[in-house]
Amino acid sequence: MATLAIDSAAVEQLRQTWETTPGWRGVLSTVDHKRIGIRYLVTSIAFLIIGGIEALVMRAQLTTSGEHLVSANAYDQLFSLHGVTMIFLYAAPVLSGFSNYLWPLMLGSRDMAYPRLNALSYWLFLAAGIFLYTSIPLGAVPNAGWFDYVPYAARAYNPGLNIDFYALTLLLLAVSTTVGSVNFITTLFKTRAPGMSLNRLPIIVWGTLTASVSNLFALPALSAALVMLFLDRRYGTHFFDASAGGHPLLWQHLFWMFGHPWVYIIVLPAMGIVSDALPTFCRRPLVGYTFVAMSTVATAVLGFGVWLHHMFATGIAPLALAFFGGASLVIAIPSAVGVFAWIATIWNGRPWYPAAMKFLVGFILLFVIGGVSGVMTAAVPFDWQLTDSYFIVAHLHYVLVGINVFPVIAGVYYWFPKFTGRLMNERLGSWNFWLMFVGMNVLFFPMHIVGLLGMPRRVYTYPSGLGWDIYNLIETVGAFIFAAGILLFAINVWRSRTRGKAAGANPWNGATLEWSVPSPPPSYNFETIPIVASRHPLWEERLDEGSGRTVFHSELLLDEKRETLATSPLDADPAAIMRMPADSYLPLILATLLGAAAFGFLFSLLWLAGAALAASTATVIVWLWPQAETAPDGMQHTELGELPVGASGTRSVGRWGMLAVVATEGAFFAYLLFSYFYLSSIATNPWPSTTPTLALPLANTAILIASSIFAIWAERSIARGNTSSLRAGLAISILLGFTFLGLQALEYSRESISATYDAYGSLFYTITGFHGAHVFVGLIMLTVVLVRAFRGHFSAANHDAVTNATIYWHFVDIVWLAVFSALYITPHLRA
Amino acid sequence: MRPSALRRSGAIACASCTWLNACNGTSSYLDATGASGAHEARLGIWLTVTACIVVALIAIALVAAMMRHRAAIGDRGDEARAAGASMRNEIRGGLRWIYIGLSGTLIVLGLTFAGTMVTFGAVTHPPRSAAVIMDVTGHQWWWEIRYTDVAHPERSFITANEVHLPIGVPVRVMLHSADVIHSFWLPQIAGKTDVIPGQTNEMWVEARVPGTTRGMCAEYCGLEHAVMALVVTAQPRADFDAWMRDRAANASVPVAPVPSQGAVVFAASCGGCHAVEGSRALGRAGPELTHIASRATIGAGALENTPANMRRWIANAPSEKEGVRMPEMHLTGGQLDAVVAYLQQLR
Repeated sequence: MATLAIDSAAVEQLRQTWETTPGWRGVLSTVDHKRIGIRYLVTSIAFLIIGGIEALVMRAQLTTSGEHLVSANAYDQLFSLHGVTMIFLYAAPVLSGFSNYLWPLMLGSRDMAYPRLNALSYWLFLAAGIFLYTSIPLGAVPNAGWFDYVPYAARAYNPGLNIDFYALTLLLLAVSTTVGSVNFITTLFKTRAPGMSLNRLPIIVWGTLTASVSNLFALPALSAALVMLFLDRRYGTHFFDASAGGHPLLWQHLFWMFGHPWVYIIVLPAMGIVSDALPTFCRRPLVGYTFVAMSTVATAVLGFGVWLHHMFATGIAPLALAFFGGASLVIAIPSAVGVFAWIATIWNGRPWYPAAMKFLVGFILLFVIGGVSGVMTAAVPFDWQLTDSYFIVAHLHYVLVGINVFPVIAGVYYWFPKFTGRLMNERLGSWNFWLMFVGMNVLFFPMHIVGLLGMPRRVYTYPSGLGWDIYNLIETVGAFIFAAGILLFAINVWRSRTRGKAAGANPWNGATLEWSVPSPPPSYNFETIPIVASRHPLWEERLDEGSGRTVFHSELLLDEKRETLATSPLDADPAAIMRMPADSYLPLILATLLGAAAFGFLFSLLWLAGAALAASTATVIVWLWPQAETAPDGMQHTELGELPVGASGTRSVGRWGMLAVVATEGAFFAYLLFSYFYLSSIATNPWPSTTPTLALPLANTAILIASSIFAIWAERSIARGNTSSLRAGLAISILLGFTFLGLQALEYSRESISATYDAYGSLFYTITGFHGAHVFVGLIMLTVVLVRAFRGHFSAANHDAVTNATIYWHFVDIVWLAVFSALYITPHLRA
Repeated sequence: MRPSALRRSGAIACASCTWLNACNGTSSYLDATGASGAHEARLGIWLTVTACIVVALIAIALVAAMMRHRAAIGDRGDEARAAGASMRNEIRGGLRWIYIGLSGTLIVLGLTFAGTMVTFGAVTHPPRSAAVIMDVTGHQWWWEIRYTDVAHPERSFITANEVHLPIGVPVRVMLHSADVIHSFWLPQIAGKTDVIPGQTNEMWVEARVPGTTRGMCAEYCGLEHAVMALVVTAQPRADFDAWMRDRAANASVPVAPVPSQGAVVFAASCGGCHAVEGSRALGRAGPELTHIASRATIGAGALENTPANMRRWIANAPSEKEGVRMPEMHLTGGQLDAVVAYLQQLR
């Protein structure tokens, strides 16, 4: 690596700009992606250990038939808490941890696109975890399993707070995951080093990008289902109530529309870890990079089309069964691409086997077993036997432990020297691997057999004499072997943190950018932004790919404020110099407020929930209020040409964030409308139970469209620098928006049925109500923009906030057209 | 895993079978005794064998790849010797793995899909018109079963937690839920079908081999999901018809001028929830008990049906099955004895 002498004063300047204040202020306010990444990793692995302890108690209970270590009630809470903990508080956040830490380092940037959003995402995750576990002291642990089927989860059969804890925990996590995903997507498209084009991204970046896009479209299904569940439980609606036009299968459809993509969301980045780390230990590039990257995307896309395979036994029409069975087989194809690419890489390579590599190779075998048993469950008639038996428990643990936990442990061994500057102990690492690998198979393989012998899942006890005892005994032994492996891992991390061998910048001779900076990396990551020339910047001498050489020490010092480079979405051409916000308490405050709102809803303290949400809105306004440190600041000459400082328009990150938010909100309404059409298609009573009148909503539609037109006029005006037209246009838009809400209220007062009358009423008010809430949010945005317009914040060159607010406003308008067509027009077409 | 091994383990289990008389000691669905179960088992065995072969082949490929350059392990100087051009050739060569692997995968998936569709056709093909209809209602946590003999509608009766199947006769099963979602599963006879409030699911079952097996709820339905079992008896048509006639009639309690003390206590203390045909006990909240003495288990598989267990159960059912809806009955010792004696007559 050629080292250009960088002015030590400049480095000192960078350090002072980027370093978080020491002490507790820094702890609470930091937005450093590396510190947030480590927090994610530590917190989620703590949840892995907690969830593991829950599993050990369950295994102890099942050691022999008729055991009475815990009560049936305790066992049901244990397996529910175990599932929710592992799937939501461990498996996804741990991967966010890796990606948060690694993305900017791999992409050649100084932070994520939205550093404060990153902090918010973590604090919300922590708040959700704490919220869930307060259910233990309150004696109301969720008890309906991680997929929480109604009506067992309905108030009639589950009157305690148990399920409310479940619903509110997952809603908090949905917000956390969504803002995290928006951040990853924007980071990927906007803040890469010049030359880091899409075909040079490390595979973990492909994995997390794909997972993040999936999140935007999958999570709203869960959120919609959770909102309906909470309304059913607390406010007497009937979404899932078969006696009033609802249906329990609506929950299952929505849950698995989310749930199956989620499976890929929690494995694709982990497979990315494998695709990136394995070549290092083989000393050869990954075979079939393009295949593997495309398979990652294909898996996620197909993952949206197989949700029904969780419902093969629910009495679904044979044609649908055949289609979804076929689709579930097809999804094995991209997985096979990965497996053969990894094997081919080892085949080509000169592999060596430190602990990280042992876990990677172990992963391949576990992945194949889990994948093949998955193919078995896609065979519909046989799935009628397999589903809900221990075979499924075996399959899902091979998938989730095999494809998530093993790569995660490998990833920790691989990147620990980067995190801490020290290597983990290899001797302990070897024991760690063998205990976990043997324990894993002794624990989970017999579950296949006992499943084929007819043992159903989620039983707190079982009779003897069915041939199940011996396998259960073996499984319990395996569980404790596996746990010993995890314990060694924890010990190894703890010891190596202070006593490990010094690592240096690139202990494994890795190829990607994160290995070009010191271990641990400085707060500003790169002294100068690198200019990337190939997929393997640190292997260019060896590979000689003929693409030139990566410049590690460019002249892109960018040390005036917290600056990094914004680049174009596909080819990563430089677009602007971005200015990043300073450390901030706002993320912590917002997460605390949302946590307080959750407690408000939990205990039916609506004043608390309302006050917390109002305070949250105020916090968001403060958050988005323009700051001097990130304001546009003319042009700067760089070695890559003239670049604007503090970008605006399509060069800025704001637009991308808004588009991502609009996409996920749009999906939320799509799932609500799906629910409407699903229930109407299976309704046995007349649907709708009352036909809504058209006159008032038609007028309202015209009003909303008119308001959008005035918003367009306002935005066009400021683009020409006309501030007074901007103010007038915004004011009229806002006025029309409030008129819409007033007329909506008038229409509500004229409706003959209520939200608690039947499922149609519940849907009518929920869909129009949520739309109304979005109108209200849009009005707040427009009002803030109007206030800023009066304070002279906008000009022809700089009016991002106007554009973003109008994008949201048009989105609200378009959603209304869909809602109007579905709720008001289709009933008249049918009649 | 070989089916013969499964059968062997079933046989071992049978020897230690405690509470199911004549039980074949397994509920392995690869060891099928029903018509659709047999089709599913054939598919399942095929899939299991294929799965094992696929895992073995890939494991061999993995080990071969790991062994190939074993000599180079630890030789980190190797990097310097590998010229860029030859490395790029290696990568192109490596792509062959992906092409070959994908072709193999497609073949296996194609065969799996074909097998699935063939089996699918065989098990969903509706058989001849039903001779017997079973209306199964799932309750937290027991099964109510109404039998209807289509040729003799008067022989309709209700029983609980036991299923009898005539060999070689397809039985139509209508599935209802009284509360939450359950799943009706007779592993060796047929795959499971969910029992969902708000819709009536339908399935066909046909036993092929005589014997007793265990059926159960397969969808988590709350506290006692684990103890919601059925005793499934497959028997020749003649025996089955005899059983139907017997069940359709009242239990042959000895005729006495004055009802026994047990009958009186039962009607007063238990009749609100349980029914015994021909008596004053008419309750429908709990299982029908007209022929309780001839059933193999108590409490949907909670206990073997012996007089001693019956006494324990009646005295304090929640101590035997935590979540059961039947409360602790505050009966005197004498009353308990009388009720047990009465119930023992209900054959």
